[in-house]
Formats: sequence, structure tokens, C-alpha cells
Amino acid sequence: MEALSLRDDLGDKSAVTAQNTLQLIAFSIGEQIYGVEITTVREIRAWNGATPLPNTAEFVRGVINLRGTIVPIFDLRARFGAGPTTATKNHVVVVMSVGDKWVGILVDAVSDILTVSRDDIHNVPEGNTVDTELLNGIVTHDTRMVGLIDLHAVVANAKVDG
Amino acid sequence: MSELDDFKATYFDECSELLTELEEQFAAIEAGERDANRLNAVFRAIHSIKGGAGAFGFSDLVGFAHAYETLLDYVRDGRVELTDDVVTLCIRANDIVSDHVAAARTGEALPADYGQEEKARFEALARGEAAEDDGPPIEEFDIEFTPVMVDLGLDGDAPAEDDDCFEESPMAGCEAGQWEIRFTPHRELYARANDPLLLLRELAALGTLQIKPVIGDIPHLAEFDPFAVYCSWEITLNAPNTTEASIREVFEFVEGDCDIAIVQLGAGTAGEARPAGENAPAREDDEDDAFEEAPSLSFSELAATITPTRVATPSAPPAVVAPKPMAAATGESEDGRGGGVQSIRVDLDKVDRVVNMVGELVITQSMLTQQMDETLRARYTELVRGLEVLAQTTRGLQDSVMAIRAQPVKSVFSRMPRLVRELAQKTGKKIKLETIGESTEIDKTVIEQLSDPLTHMIRNSADHGIESPELRLQRGKPETGTIRLSAEQAGGNILIIVEDDGGGINRERVLQVARDKGVVAPDATPTDEQIDQLIFAPGFSTADKVSDLSGRGVGMDVVLSNIKKIGGSVHVRSWTGKGTRMTLRLPLTLAVLDVMLVKVGINPYVVPLSSIVETIQCSRAAFERVPSGGQVMQVRGEYVQVIDLAARFSLTSDTDEGNRFVVLCEGEGATKVALVVDDIIGQQQVVIKSLEENFERVDGIAGGTILGDGNVALIVDVQGLRTPAVHKSAA
Repeated sequence: MEALSLRDDLGDKSAVTAQNTLQLIAFSIGEQIYGVEITTVREIRAWNGATPLPNTAEFVRGVINLRGTIVPIFDLRARFGAGPTTATKNHVVVVMSVGDKWVGILVDAVSDILTVSRDDIHNVPEGNTVDTELLNGIVTHDTRMVGLIDLHAVVANAKVDG
Repeated sequence: MSELDDFKATYFDECSELLTELEEQFAAIEAGERDANRLNAVFRAIHSIKGGAGAFGFSDLVGFAHAYETLLDYVRDGRVELTDDVVTLCIRANDIVSDHVAAARTGEALPADYGQEEKARFEALARGEAAEDDGPPIEEFDIEFTPVMVDLGLDGDAPAEDDDCFEESPMAGCEAGQWEIRFTPHRELYARANDPLLLLRELAALGTLQIKPVIGDIPHLAEFDPFAVYCSWEITLNAPNTTEASIREVFEFVEGDCDIAIVQLGAGTAGEARPAGENAPAREDDEDDAFEEAPSLSFSELAATITPTRVATPSAPPAVVAPKPMAAATGESEDGRGGGVQSIRVDLDKVDRVVNMVGELVITQSMLTQQMDETLRARYTELVRGLEVLAQTTRGLQDSVMAIRAQPVKSVFSRMPRLVRELAQKTGKKIKLETIGESTEIDKTVIEQLSDPLTHMIRNSADHGIESPELRLQRGKPETGTIRLSAEQAGGNILIIVEDDGGGINRERVLQVARDKGVVAPDATPTDEQIDQLIFAPGFSTADKVSDLSGRGVGMDVVLSNIKKIGGSVHVRSWTGKGTRMTLRLPLTLAVLDVMLVKVGINPYVVPLSSIVETIQCSRAAFERVPSGGQVMQVRGEYVQVIDLAARFSLTSDTDEGNRFVVLCEGEGATKVALVVDDIIGQQQVVIKSLEENFERVDGIAGGTILGDGNVALIVDVQGLRTPAVHKSAA
């Protein structure tokens, strides 16, 4: 719906729109909603298993074959420290580009495309380093909180030494 | 990345090809094949290097190449005899050219007098034999130079007496097809080491020439500026079948550095003369002004005008109906390559993309074939036939694509003669290098990894293997030692063998050093073969004194690590007093790997087939415990470290201990390791995929591959698995 209203505005306000707003793909982990910028998303696919990678952190779910390329899958729930996701066919992998690499994030479901204003992005409350490390900011959408995922932080420290 | 940088990169690519060609030609010339074609090829190569260097302003290279080229030209004419001394000098000159090119590429400066001695010898040789016809030199402008006496060297085309063809009106007797060319070189033309003689000779390839020098501007000797240009030429070319374009092509290299006016006589009007480039028509009356005002192009502009033409139109047809074949002419431009091997330059990335896609195709094809069960086969015979054809075509496609990446090992081998020459010089030994099987082709990536190991191996042979001439004579061997470098294909592998007829490995000394350095336990008694392999151990060197050739203890371990990196192995065999043979076994290609598919837990893993020695059922294997808690296994009297892949990869194995399998692998230096897996599924070919592309390196995993069902299987890094465990048990 937001996308539609954006299109109506395209005629006169597109320049302003591009500068001040952010389009997000929103997905859920349990009850909570998170988002990543839409331009980083390459593909959304259903969970179809992954080959586990030895000697890696718990949140590295394994690797999948994405049209001939090997792409690692990160379990976002496990990354948040809430234990591994019990993945089913209904779970979703969001494939995104982080720098020059492609990675997949395992989430419960993709819910919506949101358009938010950059001015509405709040800082993550200080307190827990996990939150401040993994989130870039917080926006409000329809009274719900949406956490903006810092992809670089999510994929960091994936290796287990020794 | 500017355009100029692109052109430079292309130029350096060409240079390395040309330098390789030079090595080859001189190898043949040294062996006694002193025919004109070889000399022409050498001349062309040097000339092309010089031409490009001029365009980019590498003046040192230009200066040296010019002197070298002049000598070659005289040799070609027979004015300087090609004696063994001259050949040796030329080979040395090739090395110097190569160094100049390398210096130009890296931007480093060579010592100012580098190559000057050789250059002086060229000039002495050239002058000594042919003093009276010194071509227009660039450095030493002889004060006695009298342009009137210049012999243009156009045998049979003596400067014509009847210059009347140059009268303004079309001449009676000058039929259509006659061209009048006025060629006025600028100072820059000479500064960039171009030689008008070569241009005129190339022009002569188009038809009959009549040349009249314009020398009226030569000042009195007192006012003579040795760097100024006082001479231009009026040329009548009788070439009915040529076009203005092909005439201009002759001057393509020097465009912008000279004024050229071309008029076709008997066709069109007089005054059709068009100056070349943006240059004003020649103004011979006032030579000083002409030089001051001649637009001097910057290097980048020059490169932009010259190089694109060379790069973009490599297949530009050479002068269509040349009376003499272009190759027999001076070979002024590379465009004379018509009729040779046709090739195109393709970005390696593009080829890799094709290789990858063909890999996918192979996998898809085998997956389709696996889907065909008996019922389907009976019902859809046409489909089955189609699949068979598909399988065949895919295999053919795969072979062809691999052939694109394959390159002859010559490109690496050709660097070795120089190395051997230098080594012989530094060690004071007499060494000759024989190369065999240079046309054997291997994947480009493998070739690139081959240069360092080969260098180290040959250094080792020259430094440690071959004895001094006195010792050799004393031992009843020929004074000159031989290092033989050969390449051959053996099944799916390429064998590169470095053999020498030196003293062989001094095993006592190797063992002594190995014990001193703790590489071998003091009480261990390795076999002769094991001792030989010790020379590849890191940090190992037996040289009594550290020379700048070898002996720092780095080198042979570099060989091993480089070769292992590309999936190969090294084996050394030595015969005391007779010599040493080092064999590199390399995979034909890196893109496709023969593997054994195994199961660990519920996951498929692949182990490179090349590293597998044998497989044994666990119930038949003799496992023992060692104090660290680890397991070892006895295989034919040898104890081998056991690694349970399931435990190592933190996977759960439900399989009964007795039903599991041991995959015995051979790692570095013939040491073995036993991997325990849950099941063996079979053998197949896989395409290697990088994990690092989207992730990072994972310990114990060499990469991934995609199986027929679309799932990812991980490739076990046999050597990587072993290493940490060794540290643990040692600690």
C-alpha cells in the first residue's frame, strides 16, 4: 500500500522521496519485525535445507547452491542468541548483498515492503551490546517497532577458531 | 584506469609474448638454425618492442632497442657476420631488453649505465663493418655525416635520376597508379627511435619506388645542429593496385611525427595533397621554425592516436597486393601477421564464466541421465537418444572449453634458459639446459603457479646438483652439466620433470642437517627415499654457505606449497654421483576435480581422488590408541594418524563403528592420514566452487561443489585437517 502511494507521488515529489525515505523489506523473527534496505535484497526463497559448515559459529546455518554459486546462510534467530531456528518449508531465506558478497538470512517470514522517512530513524537504546551491535537503528511503522539490521555485523565473527 | 594505462597493459602483454618469441628464436639460432626467417622474426620482435616503447616514452628501452635493432639489421643484410660471439651478445641483449621492459612496467629505474657496454659493442660492431652507411642514428650524430651520401639500402632501387616525375603537372608516362609522396620527418620521429629507412623499405614492398632526398636545407657545418632534421624525401611510388590507405598504413607508426602528403598522379587534381594529422604542411624553407612549431604531441595523445589503431584493428588487412610478402619486407608493423595463427585476446573472466557454465551443464546433464529409470527408458526412446546426444555434446563442449584455458608450458619454460645462463655465470659452472615437451598444454592457472617452483628447482639443481667443471672432469663426466626440463601428459596429470646429471643428494648431510634442525628425531632411521623428500621440509637447507642463489632454506618448501596449492605433488629421486630427478605431478585442469563422494553423518563430503591411497572397512582396520587420546592405525607396518571426520566436523554419526570406512589419504611428503567416514557413495567429477567468494575460508574445507541433486557438498582439505592435530599432539 505504501508502495502504491509512493507511485502516485512519483510525478512531482520523486526527487524528494528518493532523498528522504527508505524502502525496507520487513521480515519477522517470532513476534518481532526487522527490516533491511530493499536495495540490498537480491532474492527471497523458501527454506530448502543447507549443507552445514564445520568449524563455524552456531548461527552459520550452512551453505546453499544459488544458481551455481555457494552462498552461506545465517540463522538470524541464532545470531540474536535465541537458539537455532527449527526451519521448515515455510521459513524464508532472504538473499542479500553485503559488500561484494552474497549472503542468505534465515527468517520466519517476509511480511511487507515498508517506506519510512529517514528522519524517523531512532537510535538503538544503549544498554545491551547485542542490540547496538546488530541494529543500525529503529523506526516506527503503524505503531510497531521495526529494527534495522546491520548486515555487516550479522555476518561477522562467523568462524570458530580451533 | 585511464585509456593510456589500458594501452600500456596491452603493450606489456605483447612485450612478454615477444620476449618469449625472442628466447625461442635464439634457442634455435644457438642450435645452428641461422636462417633469414629467424632473424626476421627477431628483428620484428625487437622492433615492435621499440615502437611501443617510443609511444609511451620509455627512452632507455628505446635507446637500447634501437642500437640492438641496428645491429640486427646489419646482421640480416650480411654486413655483420652472425658469429657465435654475436649470438651470445644478442642473447645477453635479449635479457637486457627484458629487464628494461620489466623496469618500464614497474616504473623502477635501472642503473644509468645498464646495458651501455653491450650497446657500445653493438655500435662498434655496426660501425666496424659498415662505417660508410651509418643509418640515421639517434644518439651519436656523426659530425661527418653527409646526407648526400646516404645509401638508402634499397637494392635495385637506386635513387632515380629522372626526378621529373615530381613536376607539378601529371607526367606523360606516369600512368594511373603512380603516387607522389612527400615525407618530411620531424625531430620527434627520430627522438622516438623510428627509422625512415625502415618506412621507405616497407613502402618499397607496395611497389616500385623512386626516392629523391630534399637536402637543400642542410646548413653549413658550423651551424649544424646534430639533433635537427634537415632532410626530407620526395617519393614516387608506382603501385597500381595500392590504395592511399595502405600507403598511410606504412606511416601509421609515425603519424604526428612527420608530415606526409600523398597525391595520386593521373587521377584527381593536383593540390589534393593532404597533410597527415593536424600537422601543417612541411615548411622546409625555415627548418628552425618547422621544429619549433611542429605540434609536439604529448605521450598520451600520441598513444591515443597510435595504439588504438593497433589494438582495435589487429586484423586490418595488410597491403592487399604487395609485390613482396610483408614478412619478407622489414616487418614494420604487426599488421603483417596475415595468414599466421589467428587469435583474439579475451578477458580471462569471460572464459571462466564459460567454464563455470559448462560445469553446471555437465552436472545438469548427469542429473538428467540419473533420472532415467528402466520404465522411462522403455517408454521414451527418443528422449533417451536425445539425452545420449546431449551427453556427448556436453563432453565435447567441456573439452573444448578446457582447451581454451590451456596454454603450452612453453611460456614458463622459455624463462628458464636465461635463469640457467645467469646461474652458470654466478656459480662458475658450465651448465646447459635441455627442454622437452614445451608444447604440452596445461590450464592457465596451473601455468601461472608453475614459474616459482620451477625457478627454485632449477636453482637447486644448478647450485647443489651440478658439480664444478673440475670435479666433473675428475669424476669422468662431461665438463658441461646438463639440466633437463621436460613436460609430458600422463593420464589426467601433467608431469614436469627437472633432471640433472650432477652429484645427487648428499643423504648423509641431509640427514645430519635434518637431525640438527629437529626435522627428524635423533633416533629415527628414515629410508633413502624419505631422506630425499626432506629437502622439501620448511626451513631446510644443506648449503654450507648461503649464496644469493639458494641456501637460505626457503625455496624447496615454496615448491611444495605452491604445487600443493594447485593440487599437485612433488617427488624427488636421487642417484649418488649420477644425478637427481624431481617430478612435479600436476592436474590437467583446476576447474574439474575427480573426487570420491563420502557420507559423514547425513552430509555428503568429497575427497579429491588424487590424494586417496585406498579405502578400508573399519571392521578390518587395526586401530590403536596413543597417549593424547587420539587414534592411530596400522597399515602395512606403518602407523598412520586417524581422523574421524564426524567428530572433527562435530557431526553425529549413527553408523555402527564396524560399518564405517577408512579412507587412507596421502598428504605432504608421502605422509599418510586415515579419514574415518560413515559411507562411501562413489566416484565422480565435480566442479570446484569457492567458499571464500561469499564467505571465508573454513578450516579443514578446501571448497565446495554442487552435486547432481543441486545440494552443496564440501571438499575435504586433507592437508589442512592434519595440521592442527599434529600441533595438538606435539604440544
